[in-house]
Amino acid sequence: MTRVLEAVGLAVGRGKTAVLSGVNLAVEAGERLALVGANGAGKSTLLRALAGLDPVLGGTIRWNGGSLPLGAERVRTLGVLFQTETPSRFSVRELVTLGLGLDGPASPPDRARVDALLERAGLTALAERSCAQLSGGEAQRALLSRALIADPRLLLLDEPTNHLDPARQATLLGWFDRLRGNTAVILATHDLALAATCDRVALLDDGRVSHLGTAVEVLTPENLTRTLGVGVRRLDDPNGGPPLFRVVSA
Amino acid sequence: MKRQALVPALGLSCALVAAIALCAGPSGWRLPWPVTDVITELRAPRVVLAALVGAALAVAGVAMQSLLQNDLADPFVLGLSGGASAGAVTSLAVAPGMPPGPAAAGALGAAVLVRWLARGPYDPARLLLAGVAVGSIGASATGLVLVLAPSSRLLRASTYWLFGGLGTPAWSSLIAPAVFLFAAVAWMIARAERLDRLSLGPDVAASLGVEVPALQRTVLLLSVALTAVTVSAAGVVGFVGLIAPHAARRLIGQGHRGLIPVAALGGALVVMLADTVARTAFAPREVPVGLVAAAVGGPFFLLQLQRGLR
Repeated sequence: MTRVLEAVGLAVGRGKTAVLSGVNLAVEAGERLALVGANGAGKSTLLRALAGLDPVLGGTIRWNGGSLPLGAERVRTLGVLFQTETPSRFSVRELVTLGLGLDGPASPPDRARVDALLERAGLTALAERSCAQLSGGEAQRALLSRALIADPRLLLLDEPTNHLDPARQATLLGWFDRLRGNTAVILATHDLALAATCDRVALLDDGRVSHLGTAVEVLTPENLTRTLGVGVRRLDDPNGGPPLFRVVSA
Repeated sequence: MKRQALVPALGLSCALVAAIALCAGPSGWRLPWPVTDVITELRAPRVVLAALVGAALAVAGVAMQSLLQNDLADPFVLGLSGGASAGAVTSLAVAPGMPPGPAAAGALGAAVLVRWLARGPYDPARLLLAGVAVGSIGASATGLVLVLAPSSRLLRASTYWLFGGLGTPAWSSLIAPAVFLFAAVAWMIARAERLDRLSLGPDVAASLGVEVPALQRTVLLLSVALTAVTVSAAGVVGFVGLIAPHAARRLIGQGHRGLIPVAALGGALVVMLADTVARTAFAPREVPVGLVAAAVGGPFFLLQLQRGLR
């Protein structure tokens, strides 16, 4: 089966200066990968390159074995949730419909599809409301719905739980798990507990991917201390759930 | 009002205002029949030009606001008004007569200069700043020419280029602008959903499958060309390109498929109405249509804004 995303020998940066180089990543269908690193380690820069938004400085990226298409085919390949997006004055329904990448008015089946997703996302009552009038959590749900409506094979999320309180983080993640189906996910996060729920974790440090493996292998106190520059204690869940992390010293 | 009824309702209003405009003249009101040359050769082409100018400015305003993701953008925001005024006034000072060419050239020159100053990847903030700077330079050049010019007649002649005036166009001069306006509107409506995505910002638009640089280039080019056409026909008619898009957004929402036709009809309505007042209110003197548009449209727009805020 074709890999959803494959990056080989990738060098990325803003302008001409490389922030990360020698990056090799491959993501299979349905897999979830977390990018973890300190501020400025290059998480967002890497995500932007993987989203095809910035040209790469070296190496290659292949999406489903090829290059990124335009139009409706693009949004079926890739969905993106940006870290910050200025709220628009489109209604929630209009915003989610734009995620279909259509060139023309939505057909009745498309509209039914949008309605069904709004229903599952708990946004039906807000469908006609302007996005500028939503709370942070509602806006994040609307933006995630837009990224998911075309049923993309890969989803790129930049700090998906940013600005959300713990209860809303938990709600968002539960909701997200129900919605994403077989969509593969690459997410950039500072939230170690969220990273620990992913199938694999890539630690970004010193201009490269320093560690890549399962959360248990990669998110060790030694690795995190070296990468983040803080002491970290890992508390494993005796019931087999994802571990918790506690910063113990600066 | 139902959204679907908006376009027919606005179309009817435009027809009504056009009929009123045909009846109104500096000598008072008169039914337009028997049809005379005054109606067919003087008033009718002017009413059509008013509609074309209003529609073109409104559509250019919608395009500029979506392109720059800025609600305060209008068709002249990239220094076009300063360039147009400077071009018109200079040509009037040097060779009194026909300044449409120099005015349009000034507007286009300003747009090219602004794009060059803010060259490189598209950056709305840099474009706007360069536009403000070039616009002020153009405005100060205009002022200097007016102050230093030997003839006081220049000031009177310049007024219509600085604040808009429709004159007495020949039918034949309306064909090219009309064809261009309809082609531009058709092109934009055919890409309405891409413009919707573009208005969310270049990164979001690209992630939603839009070929952003190509679309930005064409939309900017169309908007500047539409504005230059209105400048060559009627000088700098301000305000319409700002309020017609806003009023349309309030009436029908942000989607460009509805927004573009509603804004175009709204712009046509405002300029036809304003020009009727401009021709008749102070007869036999005529006042610049841009001033009347702001005076008539301003309170209406503020009223709408107040209702929206409450």
